[in-house]
Amino acid sequence: MLKTIQLDKHFGSHQALKAISIDVKPGEIYCLLGANGAGKTTLINLFLNFLQPTGGQVLVNGRDVQQYPLESKRDIAYIPELVMLYGVLSGLENLEYFAALATGEKLPRDKLLSLLQGAGLDATAADRRVSTYSKGMRQKVGIAIAMAKNAKALLLDEPTSGLDPKAANEFSQLLTKAKDSGVAVLTTTHDLFHAKQTGTRIGIMRRGELLTELNSADVSHSELESLYLQYMEA
Amino acid sequence: MKSALFGKVFLHELRVLIADRTLLLVGSLLVALVLYGFYNGYQETLQREHAAQELAKKQADKHAENITTLRALLGGEQKPDPFANPFDPASVGGGMEMRYATLPTLALSPLAFGQSDMLPNYYKVTDRSKASFMYDTEIENPWNLLSGHFDITFVLVYLFPLIIFALSYNLLTVEREQGTLRMLLSQPLSLAILVAGKLLVRALPVLLIMAVLPLLLLGVLRPQLFQADQLPAVLGWLGLVLAYGGFWFALALLVNIIGRSSATNALALMAAWVLFVLVIPVVLNIVVGLLSPAPSRIELATKTRLITIEGLNRYHDKLSSDYRFTQDPEVLLPRDGKIEVAPRRQAQFLIQRDVDKEIQRVLNEFSTQLAVQQMLVERFGWISPAIVTYEGMAAIAGNGAARYLEFQQQVDRFHERWKEYFEPRLLNSIAMTEQDYAEMPHFEWAEVPVQVSGILKRLLLLVIPALIVIAFAIRRMRRFSVV
Repeated sequence: MLKTIQLDKHFGSHQALKAISIDVKPGEIYCLLGANGAGKTTLINLFLNFLQPTGGQVLVNGRDVQQYPLESKRDIAYIPELVMLYGVLSGLENLEYFAALATGEKLPRDKLLSLLQGAGLDATAADRRVSTYSKGMRQKVGIAIAMAKNAKALLLDEPTSGLDPKAANEFSQLLTKAKDSGVAVLTTTHDLFHAKQTGTRIGIMRRGELLTELNSADVSHSELESLYLQYMEA
Repeated sequence: MKSALFGKVFLHELRVLIADRTLLLVGSLLVALVLYGFYNGYQETLQREHAAQELAKKQADKHAENITTLRALLGGEQKPDPFANPFDPASVGGGMEMRYATLPTLALSPLAFGQSDMLPNYYKVTDRSKASFMYDTEIENPWNLLSGHFDITFVLVYLFPLIIFALSYNLLTVEREQGTLRMLLSQPLSLAILVAGKLLVRALPVLLIMAVLPLLLLGVLRPQLFQADQLPAVLGWLGLVLAYGGFWFALALLVNIIGRSSATNALALMAAWVLFVLVIPVVLNIVVGLLSPAPSRIELATKTRLITIEGLNRYHDKLSSDYRFTQDPEVLLPRDGKIEVAPRRQAQFLIQRDVDKEIQRVLNEFSTQLAVQQMLVERFGWISPAIVTYEGMAAIAGNGAARYLEFQQQVDRFHERWKEYFEPRLLNSIAMTEQDYAEMPHFEWAEVPVQVSGILKRLLLLVIPALIVIAFAIRRMRRFSVV
């Protein structure tokens, strides 16, 4: 569903991604681990066609994202590290707009409210201006937007940053539910625990290279941690 | 699907602009500017029309007074005044009867001052030389944007672009800076539709206020607007406002597509404004002045004086003759259709006639210079949409250089007719009768209709650059960076 083939990306002389090949299948949660600057966000941007690859291919649902930018975006829901919204509008109005862009239809108010609730946003906050929201609350609206889309694939860039542990846990449950219904999930994270807990596969990146891929079922949490540190120090 | 998305973007943007009060603020500012500009233009037009009425009344009063005097003199109830004798063609043609030739205002006149504050709207025509009434004021470059009055055209040409910038300088870049652009473009929404929706929601209200509000006010205050022959002017006004506004919106689009930051955009747009609205018009003004310098007014004055002195010598005999009425007051009354026109006054008439004839070459230079300047403005004005719009609005309002030039020419021809009427009477000492008073020439302004081809040409000069800018923006869209 989410696939790259020998993907290269240069920014001038700097090589941000080196021959990355990953393939996230429906029903998988693929967690990308890596330090800041490893190229995780660059990879996400390439999936969204926000950047053009220097070499190789990016495919969503079998389609090249450069050739079919709109079609591939119909299949992806995306939650950035910082969900940014229109401050003068309410959380509900923001969700209404983005969901309408995503699905092409105007969702009724109770549907929107249940989406917000599903993402863990307090019902009383739904009609308040987003400018009064905390980062975590905006993140929850972002989650609701992604869920509204009912997409075949989820692209998540540090989605739980800013969420309190309870909300992060609820989010993990949402992801697991999505996985079970056949959604392909690609998420970047610093959170080894989260990766081990919810991920089905884990990739470790360093300076634009994908060093290793492993099934999270095959490693224990402490093994993952030592493996990760080992790669980072090498 | 595309149009549905476009509608969603449009409605969402409208919601945001209303919620953050941008639309309210910018809209009410524009309404206030339009109202103030309209008020100024309307007052000016009313004053002009009032002045024209006063002059017509003055002319009619004087006429009635002359007839009364004439009858009184015939009845012997009054003694003739040698210098205001209603039988004497020299007195009558030289100012007892005069014609105020006025240039009427058009329905759209309040929209643009144009040349109306620099060139005379009326002339007092007598049998004196035209140098004495037509060229007695400074002849300026007919096209002088810098003398900007606060009329609607000033609001449109100078301030409207700034309103457009305020609304759209950061149209896209602010979304990138806020981080909402990533959210938007991760949806199946193309940049083109997003930008089109955002542009239209900003363009529609301000273009509507700018184009329609002045016409609504005009419709209420000047019902002649609804006459069929005003249609080209009304459509021309709408077209020019939309095209000029469209040009600046296109430019705002382009800088948003190219620009890296909102601050850069604002700077780039201001630079474009300074260039197109201030620098190019001033430079063109200077260049036109250099290429077609104003003829020497000193030469005109000197020449007039020399011809007058020559005339004083040439008509010495007539001028040195005495006024006979001092001995014989009877000569002031007509006898067998004749009246004795004092030779001195005949000589004065002849001197003025000679002046007119001799200075024609100098006056032609003035006309040529005006025509050349106008031609240069027409030829190079397209460089700046501000010039095209300013000129177009002045023409539509009936205050353009061409109409004023035509007015001058019609007055010139009328002046000739007036002199031709009086010359035989004056030189052959034919007394004026009441019948003559009824038949004296009147000035009638022959309107030059607003030229549709001229409006279309100006529209093209605005639409083509706008389209080029848009085409360039669309080409650059592929290279637009979301992150």
